[in-house]
This record gives sequence, C-alpha cells and structure tokens, in this order.
Amino acid sequence: MIIDRPDSHFIFVFHPSALMGKKYTLYEGKELTNGEVLQYWGKWIVLGEKSWLDELAQKLDRYVEDKVIPCIKYDRKPPANLGLKEAVMMVYCDKRKGEEIWEILHQHGVKIKAWVSERETMEMWLPGGPLLEQWITSMNLSEEDARINREDAAARLGYIFDHPDEIFSPWEQ
Amino acid sequence: MSITIIVPGSLKDLLGGSDQVTCEGKTIGECIADLDCKFPGFRGKVLDENGEVNSSFMIFLDGQNVRSLIGMATSVKEGDEVNIIPFAAGG
Repeated sequence: MIIDRPDSHFIFVFHPSALMGKKYTLYEGKELTNGEVLQYWGKWIVLGEKSWLDELAQKLDRYVEDKVIPCIKYDRKPPANLGLKEAVMMVYCDKRKGEEIWEILHQHGVKIKAWVSERETMEMWLPGGPLLEQWITSMNLSEEDARINREDAAARLGYIFDHPDEIFSPWEQ
Repeated sequence: MSITIIVPGSLKDLLGGSDQVTCEGKTIGECIADLDCKFPGFRGKVLDENGEVNSSFMIFLDGQNVRSLIGMATSVKEGDEVNIIPFAAGG
C-alpha cells in the first residue's frame, strides 16, 4: 500500500498492518531487537528519476503486500540540501533476506547494487556524522538550533546503541 | 580482468557521459587507476589525499561497501560489477 502524503518528504510503501501499529522490522516473523537491527537491518539503495521510482514502487507494492519486502520509502523530490540530483528509494530488509530481495529489484530493472546497513546510516546521523552536519549546514540553523538537533540525534540514536536487548521501535518520519 | 563500473545518471560526468564502462584491474584501487587514465581527474574526484574513498562517494562491490571490505586493496575478478553512488544517498 503506497502512502503518499503531500506534507511528507517521503513516499512510503507499507503493508497495511504497519498502519495498525504492527512492526515491520521482523525476521522470520519475530520482532528484531535494537541489537539485531544494528547487526542485520539495512536497505538497498535505488537512485533515479522520481517518475521511474513511482513506477517501481507500483511494481514492488505487491511484494510488500505479500510481506516479502518489509517496507520501502523514497524521496518526493531529490534532496538537494544533501547535494543529490536524483531521488533515492530505500528498500528495507534484513540482511539475511538481502539477496532474495536484491533479485526482485534486479528483475525490475535496478542495476546498481548498493547495501547500506542501518548501523552505517545511524552513524552518519549522529553528532559529528557527515550527514547530520551537512544537513545542519544546509538548513542554516542557528548555533542553538544546531545544538538542539545534535542532542536530539544523540538521544534518539544513542538509545538504540545503549539498549541492544529492547525491541526496536522505528520512529515517525 | 574486465570489470564493469556502473554509476547513477547523476554521476555520468565522472565517466565521460556514460553510466556504465569497463576497466581493467585486480583490485578496486587498480580499477580506479585505470579509470583515471581513461577519464583524467577521476581518481582525484573519488579518492581523498590518503588514497581512500572520499566523503562524497560510496563504492560497492557486489552490493558491499568497499570500506567494510579492505578498501582499495579489495580484490576483484573477471566479470565483477562495481557501483559508485553519492555518499548522501546512503542516509
């Protein structure tokens, strides 16, 4: 099910159960802990024109409905503030299912094979991480707002690293 | 050994306007050196002063970030595909 809310930067593809509060960070039906997310969770990165990603999302929706692909999100427009000229789609899954899902993407015309783990992504968005700092610069934040954002990132992401045995809870975007 | 390099459309300028080219090499580093011969300046755009992938790009071999392998010393074999994407796309 494609969730396209104009007020969100992202367009999502979720199974309807995710809208009823069910987790999608699962492996063999079991919810992943924070530690397991850091070890196994991640995404295949797909870059392209927004119109192509829209078509791809339509084709992949059935795999999300069948719970083969846990979830997908992609940019409504290229995130120019991060220096990108193309929209990015992230096809999330557990690394242990990664090759199975890559084959689906490849069958649907994805050529670039790029896996980025959630751990790597979180490290990019921690204080001092390249993407958080680039985002702060691009938003022209005051020192005070930059400090608040760094503290928020440290608290939210740091909690995941500090509580490996808790069940992972994705945050709203 | 012939290795295929694939980039997204936004990085075609790196490869002289193509999104897919072939190069020769036994390691990622040798492939980049060969690409630098074909597309002068390529190495300087992709690597930092220490000869590692700079903060603007990520390089993948069979889906794996070469930073998590052994960087430029990562071996490649005939028919391998190497992908280069903008670093920020991974976030």
